[in-house]
Amino acid sequence: MEQLFNFNLEKVPNSSEKEALDREKNLKLFLDYGFPSKKDENWKFTDLNFIINKNFKHITNNLDFELEKKVDVIKDFDHNHIVLVNGILKSSNIKFEDEGKVKLEGLTSITDFDYEPNNNLSFLNRALSLGGFNLEIQKNYTCKKPIIIYNYFTSKLDNKIINNSNKIKLNQNSELILIEYNIGEKSKFIKNTFEKVIIDKDAIFKNISIQKKKSNGYFYKHISGSQGHNSSYQNFILTSGLKLNKVEIDMNLEKENSNCFILSSLFLGRGEHQEIKSKINHLTPNCKSYQKIKNVLEEDGVGVYQGKIFVKDIAQKTNAYQLSKALILNDLAEFNAKPELEIYADDVKCSHGSTSGSIDEDAIHYLMTRGIKLSKAKKLLIKGFLNEIFENIPEQNIKTFLENSIEEQIEEI
Amino acid sequence: MKKEEFKHQEYKYGFTTDIENIKAPKGLTEETIKFISKIKKEPEWMLNWRLKAFNRLKVLKEPNWQKPKYPKINYQDLYYYSAPKSMKDKPKSLDDVDPKLIETYKKLGIPLNEQKRLSGVAVDAVFDSVSVATTFKEELTKKGIIFCPISEAIQKHPDLVKKYLGSVIPISDHYFATLNSAVFTDGSFVYIPPNTRCPMELSTYFRINASETGQFERTLIIADKGSYVSYLEGCTAPMRDENQLHAANVELVALDDAEIKYSTVQNWYPGDKDGVGGIYNFVTKRGACRGKNSKISWTQVETGSAITWKYPSCILQGDNSVGEFYSIAITNNHQKADTGTKMIHLGKNTKSKIISKGISAGKADNTYRGLVDIGSKAFNSRNYTQCDSLLMGNKCGAHTVPYIKNKNSSSTIEHEATTSKINEDQLFYCNQRGLNQEEAVSLIVNGFCKEVLQQLPMEFAVEAQKLVSISLEGSVG
Repeated sequence: MEQLFNFNLEKVPNSSEKEALDREKNLKLFLDYGFPSKKDENWKFTDLNFIINKNFKHITNNLDFELEKKVDVIKDFDHNHIVLVNGILKSSNIKFEDEGKVKLEGLTSITDFDYEPNNNLSFLNRALSLGGFNLEIQKNYTCKKPIIIYNYFTSKLDNKIINNSNKIKLNQNSELILIEYNIGEKSKFIKNTFEKVIIDKDAIFKNISIQKKKSNGYFYKHISGSQGHNSSYQNFILTSGLKLNKVEIDMNLEKENSNCFILSSLFLGRGEHQEIKSKINHLTPNCKSYQKIKNVLEEDGVGVYQGKIFVKDIAQKTNAYQLSKALILNDLAEFNAKPELEIYADDVKCSHGSTSGSIDEDAIHYLMTRGIKLSKAKKLLIKGFLNEIFENIPEQNIKTFLENSIEEQIEEI
Repeated sequence: MKKEEFKHQEYKYGFTTDIENIKAPKGLTEETIKFISKIKKEPEWMLNWRLKAFNRLKVLKEPNWQKPKYPKINYQDLYYYSAPKSMKDKPKSLDDVDPKLIETYKKLGIPLNEQKRLSGVAVDAVFDSVSVATTFKEELTKKGIIFCPISEAIQKHPDLVKKYLGSVIPISDHYFATLNSAVFTDGSFVYIPPNTRCPMELSTYFRINASETGQFERTLIIADKGSYVSYLEGCTAPMRDENQLHAANVELVALDDAEIKYSTVQNWYPGDKDGVGGIYNFVTKRGACRGKNSKISWTQVETGSAITWKYPSCILQGDNSVGEFYSIAITNNHQKADTGTKMIHLGKNTKSKIISKGISAGKADNTYRGLVDIGSKAFNSRNYTQCDSLLMGNKCGAHTVPYIKNKNSSSTIEHEATTSKINEDQLFYCNQRGLNQEEAVSLIVNGFCKEVLQQLPMEFAVEAQKLVSISLEGSVG
């Protein structure tokens, strides 16, 4: 059998002897089990080992970060920007913000990136990560404009794996809208990212991730975070167009009155597979979490939602909600859900709902009797179904931009 | 009822009956299996079937993914066969049955004797490992209905048993199912001939009496074309300090246009207030809707056992077949329940409905775990799932783990779940009208469970309602 991967630690730069040893140790741990398969409960619906074996051979770690051409920036609204090439910080322009309020630096060492290894991909990440970025917003500062991260992937990435680790910290009473915008050439690669998010007291962090056009990328992202008193975390996952995407969010609501929102609307087409896996840990009273996942599945697209709400015994007055809805347009498409509740406190309001099915025939009939063609009627209903998520974005210009990008995708059907 | 009286009600089935027992040698060996097979006077094919399961068991591992963890069971330290001595030569009529046994059943309130004939329930009572007596045989025989202990069916109706035994739960299924296939001792066998409506509810009562025994019964129900049967199952066990294992297999087969309704009131001994003792109830129940327009409906009230771990499932193979699952699981003190269902849609236009009510009090843990799987050829299928959990106090847990898979664009799955506590306003309202805290809770909980209780046959509904109140005794205030 051909070798699936050959990872080379020699060319990975190390900041210290300890780091080199750490990398070796983690690589060994990874090699014991390889990529996770469906035997692992967390990967039950996304057999990564199978998917990678099917699509890749001779995977090596990427060491090339040359920007090939100028990145097309979004012109729809004013924003600060950061350019990452293959996951590494290349340039930035935080022109709209006060000096010293937004701290941005490239991360090169993994030693100060502390997270509990929780799966095999974290071992791989610790072994091969070349860093990423470190973003920090100072106390009592509200960013005037959103920051867009242009995540550029070059054309030379075939059969490469990129490993990154990022850190985002919002200090007390700060506010940030961060948009991750993936742009890439047509190369086929794997990206394995670990991100640490810390949101202090009264801070608000909105994170939106979108994909410019169809990509051959296979993405895995693990976000682990903690939230302070009265803080808010909102994550919008709108990355339609990736071959594979699994986003894993592990959020700790550590202090009272904090809230966490995970919202997603995805349109999955041929050969596309996306999974959102969340674990929201309600550790203190009076916290709120809200998850709403909407998928439209065409051709043989596969959508997965594995959400878990954990409520500790002291976390009374918790309000937690999970909703997953899927529109299945083709018999080859598939939607799998596992909305899980683990509750140890009695005075709580926890509920979940999950539906999957086809487009409402009555609604189509209604539109067609009013002279709208079948294909147009379907598109209209799909648009309405996905657009609901954007209602949670108060910034009008961003909302319009997102609506337009969804519309472009729907028009392609 | 006064509070004091209520306390005495804790576990009224906790008595033991002094009856001499014949036991198989301790331990899980080929000898034990041969012993069981011999004492049951089984034909050779049955022994081979058991040994095949036993060989399979050697390579299987005990599952460990479930929420309630339990100390390792020493399978070599158990008796796999225990029968009241007087049963060695089977009684010809009720008069021949050991009066002590009859006394036990009287305590249990089983309508075994003639006086209770009016209630119209045909009973097959399984005491430890053997079927004691099956009532109403004549009347059933007239209609061509076979209702007998499975050991008898193996001898008298080998073709039916050969054809259907293990066809829903294969011998290599999972650890406890395979264990049961190897060592099962007795259980009920039901066959309803075509176009027959069983004129009465069929019922089995299971009781574990002897200590250090496991109970491994096997039930097989076949509803032939166009037939209907309603089957009731009840369980009790004496109070003991050690944990006892109960690993049963229940297989249902519904052919074209047939309907099976299977109701369980499970009240095994749950262990004492500190979680000492109690039954490990690891049961595999599965029904196959083989024919077109067939229907299987599971109703369960789970109030007993230290650990309940079971998922009565429906395999909806026939077109237009229907699967239903109604469940109440109540856990108090240190009890743990991990229960739910699997609805596997394979045929066209198949429908399933799941209503699950979990109530958790004391230091208990209650998990709903279920699967709804709509295959790519199950066009126009539908599922509706509702799981509600009620928590009493903040030392218990309520969990919901549904797996939902849809591979079909013309099928619809709806799932909702809620977790809450007893509404303070409702409690206040009841208190105001003179009900004390305990009565009020019992009333509200019964209301919470109503949708499921309604599904139970009359005989069981009254008992189940009482059980619901008793199980929650001492959990409030």
